Amino acid sequence: MKFGVMYELSVPRPFAGGIERTVIENALEQIRLADSLGFDTAWAVEHHFLEEYSHSSAPELFLTAAAMQTERIRVGHSAVVCVPEMNHPIRVAERAAFLDILSGGRLELGTARSSTWTELGGFQADPDATKRDWDEYVRVLPRMWTEERFSWEGTCFSMPERAILPKPIQKPHPPLWVTVTSPGTELDAADRGIGCLGVAAATFAEQERRTREYHRRIQLCDPVGAVNDQVSTLNFLYCHEDLAIGAERGMQMLGTFGLLNSHLLFTREAYPTRAYATLGNLAPGQGRRSEKGSPGDAYGIPDGMCIGDPKLVIAAIKEWESIGVDQVNFMLNAAEVLPQEQVLESLRLFAREVMPAFPRPEPAEAD
Amino acid sequence: MLVGLADPAARRTGAPRMPDLATAPVTLEGVSVLQVLCEVANDTAELLPPALHPTLPGVVTWLVYDCPDSPWGSFRLAQTRIECRSGTRPRGLLVSGVIDNDAAREALGPRWGYRLVPGSVDFRRGYDGVEAVVYGAGREPVLALELREPVLLPPDVVQFVASVHPAETPRGYRLVQVDPRHDVHRAERGHPEVSLFDGEAWGEPEIAPSHPISAAVCLADVTLPKLRFVCRPGEMAFTGTEPITDT
Repeated sequence: MKFGVMYELSVPRPFAGGIERTVIENALEQIRLADSLGFDTAWAVEHHFLEEYSHSSAPELFLTAAAMQTERIRVGHSAVVCVPEMNHPIRVAERAAFLDILSGGRLELGTARSSTWTELGGFQADPDATKRDWDEYVRVLPRMWTEERFSWEGTCFSMPERAILPKPIQKPHPPLWVTVTSPGTELDAADRGIGCLGVAAATFAEQERRTREYHRRIQLCDPVGAVNDQVSTLNFLYCHEDLAIGAERGMQMLGTFGLLNSHLLFTREAYPTRAYATLGNLAPGQGRRSEKGSPGDAYGIPDGMCIGDPKLVIAAIKEWESIGVDQVNFMLNAAEVLPQEQVLESLRLFAREVMPAFPRPEPAEAD
Repeated sequence: MLVGLADPAARRTGAPRMPDLATAPVTLEGVSVLQVLCEVANDTAELLPPALHPTLPGVVTWLVYDCPDSPWGSFRLAQTRIECRSGTRPRGLLVSGVIDNDAAREALGPRWGYRLVPGSVDFRRGYDGVEAVVYGAGREPVLALELREPVLLPPDVVQFVASVHPAETPRGYRLVQVDPRHDVHRAERGHPEVSLFDGEAWGEPEIAPSHPISAAVCLADVTLPKLRFVCRPGEMAFTGTEPITDT
């Protein structure tokens, strides 16, 4: 089992007074600590216009700063939005290769297509086209990274032959992922041989079914590049020796995240289309409770959330492990509702009490 | 965190009176429903009571029903709503509606809290689109919508968000949750056009439509529901929601 930290960079109002800088600096401090504690990956999302919920509009810059301040932890762009109005595919390839070089070969590149009208509408993008365009991006990115010169006649873009530079230092290229919110996207990932970056909080049963099918399908894939067959899931972490304190603070974070998330205007709600079968909402569903009974039930902790004391967190991760999840990525705060020192102490406790319960693979060496 | 900033009682004047909350459901069959969503240029937090949260961006929704039959006869109804959240759930705050049938108006207000004024609604369906023009009591047009170049969609693709209706109830002034069920038999989406909106005539002059998002037209059976919840307008839904089961 691998562990990651994930950042939306949510910012509480009012935005004046340097709060955005505080949020970013706090996140970087957490990543430095996570690096020293043995976490595997620091992920940062790409979002636009999502007031309070996420101010992470330039994750490649944030991750560059993270890479410059750390030695070992991998940096994950989770995920670059593969919509031409937001990111031209050539620029995606160039920026990713540059970050791979600057980080010493530590880049993981997630791909996504955005799930909110707030973002797609802001860029005047066509929701009906995003799946098709994403497919084109993931097919060209490995070629842009590995072919000396590249040309393309496609649907969402075309280009005459050019050398796309620089080239990444991971060979053949950085691992590719796709964020999975809508059911069925895990199959798109499997068919293309790319990793499944779970960002919707699914139940164990749902995640198990989807993970099993992903692992079956990827054996039969027609890969777009080097196969990445990992499955990760999104979670929230607040760990404290005292279960009651851990639950109270963790649920405060979870509740804040859910409220900020609810302000977003999801594409399915605003624009009727077959392209968005679900909301793509990251917030854990209400009523997502353990069927077997858990000490967390008394505190209303949703099933599988890594909130509470170390024992409860270990139990949750064991269950994720048992259904074939390779990596759990944690959000550590929401709109700074938890003081920074509490977040750092939660990370330290996790490393001290929870990590030893899970055998760790040695970090991969960069080429 | 974004919450409604308007005076909780801002929509109290003229709110419909509901003598009780034990409303029996009514199903309206074969209703043509036009739904148009449009971004607004203003901050809808200023227009919502503290019980509700705004969306990002602010959005206004128009719902037009062409109902061929009902316990009160055929009617056409147009509603203007502000999209919002109650707790974390999507909702649309009813600003007001225009209806062309007095018997239906006298039923919908006391039973479901619809704030309605008499008027008329032209609803025209052509091969290449749908037009709806709403006239207020003074016979002046107050809303003109179009859906152009319709394309068929699977019926379950169109989303209908539950409404909240400000009303005087036996429990006092409340936001009444009204979540009609739409059993959609046919759905189409088209290019939205909003050529006229007279906010003052609808009772909310501050709504400033800017960028149309979508237009959908459906053939549906619409069930006006049994009421389940009301909410105190001055409190967030987590503390201000009251179930109706004990009425």
